[in-house]
Amino acid sequence: MKKYIFHIDANSAYLSWQAVYDLQHGNAIDLRNISAAIGGDKSKRKGIILAKSLKAKQAGVKTGQPLFEALKVCPELTIVSPNYQLYMKCSDEMTAIIQTFSKKVERFSVDECFMELSCENPIVIAYQIKEYIHKTLGFTVNIGISTNKLLAKMGSELEKPDKIHTMFKEEIMEKMWPLPVNELFMVGRATYKKLTKYGINTIGQLANSDIDFLNQIMKSHGRLIWHYANGLDSSPVKKDNRKIKGIGNSTTTPFDVDDIRYASLFILSLTEMVAIRLRANNMMCHVVHVSYHRASKGGGQGRQRKLITPTDQTNTIYQTALELFKEIWDEGPVRHFGVRVTMLNTANIYQRSIFDEKNLEKKRRLNQNIDLLRVKYGSQTIKRASFIASGINNVNGGVHDNYPMMTSLL
Amino acid sequence: MKILMKSVDMICVSNKDGKISPIKYKFVGKDEQIHIVKINRILERNEERLAGNRMYIYKVMSIINNSQRVYEMKYELATCKWYIYKM
Ligand SMILES: [Mg+2]
Repeated sequence: MKKYIFHIDANSAYLSWQAVYDLQHGNAIDLRNISAAIGGDKSKRKGIILAKSLKAKQAGVKTGQPLFEALKVCPELTIVSPNYQLYMKCSDEMTAIIQTFSKKVERFSVDECFMELSCENPIVIAYQIKEYIHKTLGFTVNIGISTNKLLAKMGSELEKPDKIHTMFKEEIMEKMWPLPVNELFMVGRATYKKLTKYGINTIGQLANSDIDFLNQIMKSHGRLIWHYANGLDSSPVKKDNRKIKGIGNSTTTPFDVDDIRYASLFILSLTEMVAIRLRANNMMCHVVHVSYHRASKGGGQGRQRKLITPTDQTNTIYQTALELFKEIWDEGPVRHFGVRVTMLNTANIYQRSIFDEKNLEKKRRLNQNIDLLRVKYGSQTIKRASFIASGINNVNGGVHDNYPMMTSLL
Repeated sequence: MKILMKSVDMICVSNKDGKISPIKYKFVGKDEQIHIVKINRILERNEERLAGNRMYIYKVMSIINNSQRVYEMKYELATCKWYIYKM
């Protein structure tokens, strides 16, 4: 038996999940068959498109588009506000079904899983998974099959919906190389621009480019996408690690920081990253740590504090981290900052408390939407005004600037 | 049968094994009158998990307006609500 990797991806996830839920509750119209989109609040014409139906797509509606713009290109568009609880449930159930086929399943995003399985006929298994999900949960998925994660994912991106595609090494020339280069995983808008400037328009052209040249113009990211274009990837399927002890990010600063304004920006940018990762894991933290290292003669300090109630809110974590930093900072120049959260619990069983912040639900929804935008369009899509002209990245901590986040690491 | 998905007030039995059976229900009809309908027989039981949302589906028989009707009811586990599903 051979080892195969499957990539299972729900077709227009939010929209089809909402459609199935509505049908189950007696709605006569299937959102998937009309011009429909999930996003913001239609009555206030605020917010952005998070997902769209095929018909809406054909009318020119784009994910990430402001609602008023989408209504301009498609006036008959039906807009439904997002229901994240429903989406988490659909995501959990889909993952649970996939886990009945293999013990090695990695949830890659809310609507995508990787699965590793040794079997004789992977196509038969893929059909079983696809049909089982469709019959039980009512929505369709695309499945890509290959021998590594990158190729499996590229496979599932081919024709949609409700399709199974193989993308084996010997097929990449025919199936992957003719595609525009921005369809390659990890080629974001900035990379795409750069590549086309050098005349690299297809994945095949990228694959046949000189890796040293790519290294020159894009450093390690250039090498990475060259490998991807050639179908090379050896990252393992990571089983869900639900027992993470802590989430932390740290950064070395490009200059000596001796000003509280800059120090607070670095702490904020790290907190943004930590909080995104926390929420992506559907967790809350009870303890916040902050640390710094001095510029000269090394040394540094750290301190932690337990919050009254657990949180996943960027602002709460940031305020605590900043308070702690002010307590331990001797006002000498700093070259390294770290923010970390521990005592993690799942956000689902969160207990309400009289100490809860005001408008907590609203703030949580806001953060969820910001996260979605950043995952889809990169960390720079949306940033706090305090970062403008500061020269500091608004989200910091070991992620390639401007590339899709969180799910960006295979 | 037409999909109605009309919510009703239900009296039901939950037995020792956790099996839930509808007994009789009350709803406000188009005539704005309160109607009380007894479930005479449960013909079929099914479960669905569409969009991850569990519902029990019952094919039942009642006497409505002096005639015997076979139709479907639904029970949504997450909300504990009963519906006339299809009639
Ligand atoms: Mg998808």
